[in-house]
Amino acid sequence: MDQLIQTLIIGLANGLIFALVALGYTLVYGIIELINFAHGDVFMLGSMLAFGLIAIISSGGLGVFSITSGTPVLVMGGQIALTLLICMVAMAVLNVSIERVAYRPLRHAPKLAPLISAIGMSFVLQNVGLIFGGAYQRTIDNIFPNTNLLEPLGITSIAITPAQVFVAVVTIPLLLILTWFVDRTRQGRAMRATAQDPDTAGLMGVDVNRTIALTFAIGGALAGAAGVVQILYNNYTVWNLGFRFGLNSFTAAVLGGIGNLRGAVLGALVIGEVNALSDYYLSPNWTQAIVFGVLIAILVFKPTGLLGQQLADRA
Amino acid sequence: MSTATSSIGTGPGAWLGYVGSNAAALPGRYATALRRRPGRTIGLTLVVLAVAVYPVLGHYVLADFSRTVFPLPFPDDTVATFMTIFAIMAIGLNIVAGFAGLLDLGYVAFYAIGAYCAAFLASPHFGALGINLTFMGHVGPGAAGIHLPYWLIAIIAVIVVATFGALLGAPTLRLRGDYLAIVTLGFGEIVPLYFKNLSSVTFSLNLGPINIALQNVNWTGGVQGINPIDPPFLPFFGLVFDARSGPLAVYLGLFLLMIAIVVALNLEHSRIGRAWGAIREDETAAEMMGVNTVRTKLLAFALGASFAGVAGSFQASYLGASTSDFFDFSISILVLIMVILGGIGNVWGAVLGAFALTYVDKTLLPYIGQRIGDVAPTLPNPAEYNFLIFGIILVVMMRFRPQGFLPSRQREAELSVAGLAEAEAGLGLPAALENVEIAPPGQDEVSADARTPETPGEAREL
Repeated sequence: MDQLIQTLIIGLANGLIFALVALGYTLVYGIIELINFAHGDVFMLGSMLAFGLIAIISSGGLGVFSITSGTPVLVMGGQIALTLLICMVAMAVLNVSIERVAYRPLRHAPKLAPLISAIGMSFVLQNVGLIFGGAYQRTIDNIFPNTNLLEPLGITSIAITPAQVFVAVVTIPLLLILTWFVDRTRQGRAMRATAQDPDTAGLMGVDVNRTIALTFAIGGALAGAAGVVQILYNNYTVWNLGFRFGLNSFTAAVLGGIGNLRGAVLGALVIGEVNALSDYYLSPNWTQAIVFGVLIAILVFKPTGLLGQQLADRA
Repeated sequence: MSTATSSIGTGPGAWLGYVGSNAAALPGRYATALRRRPGRTIGLTLVVLAVAVYPVLGHYVLADFSRTVFPLPFPDDTVATFMTIFAIMAIGLNIVAGFAGLLDLGYVAFYAIGAYCAAFLASPHFGALGINLTFMGHVGPGAAGIHLPYWLIAIIAVIVVATFGALLGAPTLRLRGDYLAIVTLGFGEIVPLYFKNLSSVTFSLNLGPINIALQNVNWTGGVQGINPIDPPFLPFFGLVFDARSGPLAVYLGLFLLMIAIVVALNLEHSRIGRAWGAIREDETAAEMMGVNTVRTKLLAFALGASFAGVAGSFQASYLGASTSDFFDFSISILVLIMVILGGIGNVWGAVLGAFALTYVDKTLLPYIGQRIGDVAPTLPNPAEYNFLIFGIILVVMMRFRPQGFLPSRQREAELSVAGLAEAEAGLGLPAALENVEIAPPGQDEVSADARTPETPGEAREL
């Protein structure tokens, strides 16, 4: 029982990282009906950039913030915040440029053309990661103390580490801010309008191109944040990380009902748990096959997902 | 297979690709556009010539020529064999993606199944299980494991892979466009995972008389894969077509490729080929006109996959090994790029795209890398970043020339007819009404009633 709870906690932390990436897929699909195949690789480049900023020069980074476990907490917090900011801005800019170069010219082309273009973009980004990070895994030391936060409460059989708390502290506010942004702000309303009907939204005075670019910027920023969390929590990155991670996140977005923000988060948590349970109880070798099985089953039997459509509701 | 071949036509003319009788049934300009097809004759002649002169030219003239005079390197025999293997794959994917318009991103799965067909049926692998069967194989009688001749394996591979094509295609029948692409991608990832992970199977089944108990059985060889696999072997002439046989293997590859080309060209202009074109252009309309969409799509998946079965079994036999790591998603995309580069929907385009891309990938880039390495060893080797180049090719092609360099004549003809009809409609209609016409299918009452409301597919219906 304790082991099950422990596995679920691990799954929850990974699910939260999936959620940040899954939102990028669901936002883009919601607004232009494109499976942004390159999104996982944007996340990978985010983690590469975070690695470069954080890792010390001797291990292949730029050593700008070179955080170690000995860094004072306040300094560490400031450095992590700066890393987050830089990665989010950089990935937002990258994602907008990708949209500009590879997707915008194809907006009125047959639907499979932008998908193929996205696959091409994905390979381009993977190779950028390969040039930047080399052909092997880049790892950093765990900067968080390896203590159990539940120990003061008298629980020793289940552990929650500071690293897991860190994941929650970064991701949950971002998810809340995004929900607030889409639901409550003027720009968010423009996004929902464009998702429903771009032509009518344009007639109503919404700048459709700018709104789509903004959507890509938000997706890229979330992927950048996920990259930072990935490097600080899982402590590694590699050039082809984006493919598997991206397909997990895309599965999460589909599971929740693509186009639906809350669905994407819910789906990501479920996929995180599926990953953790399969890793522990079955075998890590089969995890990917199970996730793909879930993806195929949803697409074939219930393509609207768990929560159905909200954002991309165009029926 | 049988249903498709029976509708191609009769007599030897049909096998040489003459489809005049089919074209005669079509009206006017379209028929003449179809009947005048000099490309086929020229193309076939070129392939036959290539087969005839390849070894002489390749080994004694061009290789020296390219070393001394011409700056580009000549592909060696291994690369030339892989050119034919990838060309067969590209032709098969072109049937699924080009003729029927079903974007298959998991085509590598069928390649893998084909390769493992050869690995299971022509290697000592199952000797460990006590299964020994030798029939006209490359090895002598009494050897451990199953050893069947390649020619039989190729036929078995076609049947097995076509079955898997239909099986994996069946769940996707209701899907369209990008969702179909993602489901096939999932299958393309799962199948190699099975070959990778089923290296120790423990399984027991007790049903009274039938009692099966497997204890830690190595089914697929896991990460190491299966080797050695018997090479293709022609018994009476003592010819062995393996990696050491030089141009012989290229001959066999070209022979298989020619069969593939002839079959594909005949399929394209057969009844089933026209049905594929119909569902590619408008599935609902095709169904209304009496095309059995389920059967047509399953045939596309099965027939398209069977080409990968030939390619995969030939590759495994030729290399003498089959490893699961080889069958990566990037292979699916590589073949897709070949098809798109050549001109989606065009058999000759697929062949040309496959030749060109395999050459660039396996000969030109390593050569350039070597040259760069000689001059400046610190610079990156372009052969390591081949997919950077291929990714750029995909993006640029989609942007500037989505129809490829050898666009399909059929598609061009269709496009011009459609363009004409549209222009006529545009003249007769007031501008305000045009928007009504553009409303996508599935939004008006007729289609909504005719189809199940939950039909996944075009996302605007979701």
